[in-house]
Amino acid sequence: MDASIEKIDEAGSSLWQDAWVKLRKNRLAICGLVVLLLLGLVSLLTPWIAPYGYEEQNLILGASPPSAEHWLGTDIFGRDMLTRIMYGGRVSLTVGLIATAVALMIGVLWGATAGFVGGRVDAVMMRLVDILYALPFMIFIVLLMVVFGRNIFLLFFAIGAVEWLTMARIVRGQVMTLRKQEFVEAAYSLGLSQWTIIRRHIIPNTLGPVIVYTTLTIPSVMLLEAFLSFLGLGIQPPQSSWGLLISYGVETMEEFPWLLIFPGLTLSITLFALNFLGDGLRDALDPRTSKD
Amino acid sequence: MSQTTAYQNHKTATQSSSTHTTKTSTAALLFGAVMMVFLSGCGTDETNVSKGNETGTLHWGNGTEPQSLDPHIATGVPEHHIISSIMEGLVTKDSTTLEPKPGVAESWEISEDGRVYTFHLRHDARWSNGDPHTAEDYVWSWWRALQPALGSLYAYMYYAIDNAQEYYEGTITDFEQVGVKALDEHTLQVTLENPTPYFLQLLDHYSLFPVHRPTLEKFGAPDERGTRWTYEGNIVTNGPFQLTEWQINRRVVVERNPYYWDRDTVRLNKIIFYPTENAVSEERMFRSGQLHYTNDIPADKIPVYKESGDPTLEIAPYLGTYFYRINTNLAHLKDPRVRRALAMTIDREQITERITKAGQIPTYALTPPGTMGYYPPSDLSFDPEAARKLLAEAGYPNGEGFPVTEILYNTNEGHRKIAVAIQQMWNKYLNIEIQLLNQEWKVYLDSESAGDYQISRASWIGDYVDPNSFLDMFLCGGGNNRTGWCNEEFDRLILDEAPTAKTHAKRLEIFTQAETILLADLPIIPIFTYTSKHLVSPAIKNKGTNLLDQTMYKEIYLESDSGSNGGDN
Repeated sequence: MDASIEKIDEAGSSLWQDAWVKLRKNRLAICGLVVLLLLGLVSLLTPWIAPYGYEEQNLILGASPPSAEHWLGTDIFGRDMLTRIMYGGRVSLTVGLIATAVALMIGVLWGATAGFVGGRVDAVMMRLVDILYALPFMIFIVLLMVVFGRNIFLLFFAIGAVEWLTMARIVRGQVMTLRKQEFVEAAYSLGLSQWTIIRRHIIPNTLGPVIVYTTLTIPSVMLLEAFLSFLGLGIQPPQSSWGLLISYGVETMEEFPWLLIFPGLTLSITLFALNFLGDGLRDALDPRTSKD
Repeated sequence: MSQTTAYQNHKTATQSSSTHTTKTSTAALLFGAVMMVFLSGCGTDETNVSKGNETGTLHWGNGTEPQSLDPHIATGVPEHHIISSIMEGLVTKDSTTLEPKPGVAESWEISEDGRVYTFHLRHDARWSNGDPHTAEDYVWSWWRALQPALGSLYAYMYYAIDNAQEYYEGTITDFEQVGVKALDEHTLQVTLENPTPYFLQLLDHYSLFPVHRPTLEKFGAPDERGTRWTYEGNIVTNGPFQLTEWQINRRVVVERNPYYWDRDTVRLNKIIFYPTENAVSEERMFRSGQLHYTNDIPADKIPVYKESGDPTLEIAPYLGTYFYRINTNLAHLKDPRVRRALAMTIDREQITERITKAGQIPTYALTPPGTMGYYPPSDLSFDPEAARKLLAEAGYPNGEGFPVTEILYNTNEGHRKIAVAIQQMWNKYLNIEIQLLNQEWKVYLDSESAGDYQISRASWIGDYVDPNSFLDMFLCGGGNNRTGWCNEEFDRLILDEAPTAKTHAKRLEIFTQAETILLADLPIIPIFTYTSKHLVSPAIKNKGTNLLDQTMYKEIYLESDSGSNGGDN
């Protein structure tokens, strides 16, 4: 255990440099990273490279299977599916990114503070989490929407503000066990400040579960967005997102399977990529696996 | 019955807890295919339908959770189904021809001048708690329905009765002067303002149904809305069935009423009404033998059912119009030219052929064509060029400066699809920006009534077969008007001229004049004339089909050896 402290003090190679070296060796993770970067790039460039307009209807064409003009077919309004998926990706990826970042930030800070300080502060903070857990999440979101109006960024934020609870619990549990470990006591005895200990020792050690949980949060956030949009609280037609495309696709999967398959495939690929990358990151970042 | 929630696939959102729904949707998304296998697999075992056929239990897809079971408050079709099974008016109607048939009244006489109706009530008519059911019940119930504090949206249904309008509007305060009297315990005399050809049909409408006075008084003031008198265990009714269970968003169960006068005719023991908001899952429920009858069919499934010649598919003419209400109080929608421009840029043929797909007929007028020989006038047509000119004249050349406008609809797949198509048509032809907003059925009804909308999806199903059932909706301040539109000439034609018309032809002419006024101003945008469409299990017998899509539950019976639903599709 002392090794880790020494290593940092030596400043030979930082945790992050180490991680990057290890990550590069993990081919699956790199594949995931490349796929995600590609998706992000396509999303950024969508307004310029999309073959059609996302709201362009062609009712006479209706739902048509993939063809030369429409590579992924068209939906019941005759709108190009490829374009819809590209535009949907913008919304879904943004939601995934922003909401998860919000959840991550609040959750890690909250959980780490509660777990590290402990005692009465911990009790109060975690009871607050319990209360928020008990609060029906729909009511919370609906209230937010009523007070602040329908706004897509508010929606992202609201989802994040709901998703942080589990994160806080996970981090707190981790921190509580870490706090009692010898290497933390050693750090204390070396005279490090509390803040340094949290930053240098506690947080890096909680990264594993946090990363895994984050990769799980992103898909659930995307689905949540679809659900809310569907209820009229999120994005509205003619805009779209992957979640919405899938939930519409499910309805007609027997008649027009391509309306479900392509958005489903896109979401699955994204989630796989995220999971591989998450897995790789966890292996790379976990200080406990870094003793080679 | 009035507005339907249903029209196509209702998608959504059972109002269960969020986590539950999220989980369900996740499961549906990821394991849709697996679910299908599972669902079709369970069709072979004991199902609701096969058990129901044995026990006389009818499983009925009812579209949505009822807003209320109070007959003087409800306004929707889903409510109508339940209310018509547990309550009965003086007169009922034939399930196929819609001819009036004796209900609580076993006979009636009409005076020479057609203004005085004398009803003879059955001596064996009883409430579901055994109380005798008398003429006084009607006098009291109608008094209650006309209390302004109750805010019945259907109060205008009473205007055929002498002095009812005056009483409702407060110009007279003595209910004695209103034309309804109990001559004795079993004789009710109703005096009309004018001879009203459809008056007997009105009596089968729930807004004129009687309510049980002691029950209402037990749970609050008679003119108080939303008291607990309609809850399970409290409600006392006079129909073939009685309410025995009401689980919000799960089911409403009615069972045979042992005191009903015609109990020997009733063959079903029980009806279970399900709030099937999502037509896609409703159709799956039907195929897996969980429902005898669906409220709706997803539009995209209709061609599939038609191709395979499935006998469970039932599409029939339906006396209803699908239209958009416009809130004429809003500055940018006040100008009739704007409303006309909007109406002229909806390509209705595209909508009925490509989106709704059940043989709906594009319409440019409110009243369905052919209602009692009435063919509505209309000079509207699909004409984007002229529409752009109108919009420019109204001060929005090329749509510039036109505020972002919102279309409100109740959460339903079919409504959404139509709204998405119209959104795009308006954007394309008029260059104006439209947003969509969906709300759950009850919330949507409230928003619409409160005028808290800009443009709202709406529909109207005839309450009786007469143009009046459509046109009197748009009287000034009428409970179902909701557009803020008011025209004195229109009111005069509907309230004074039409009822006193000497001949049927003259009457229709007056309706034509009135509808011309309405269509010149267009507080509404007519879109198409409905067809009714359901999946009906072959086990259901003796259910007539009719233009109003109303069901006489007391006549239905189930035959157990009729095989399973639907077969494969």
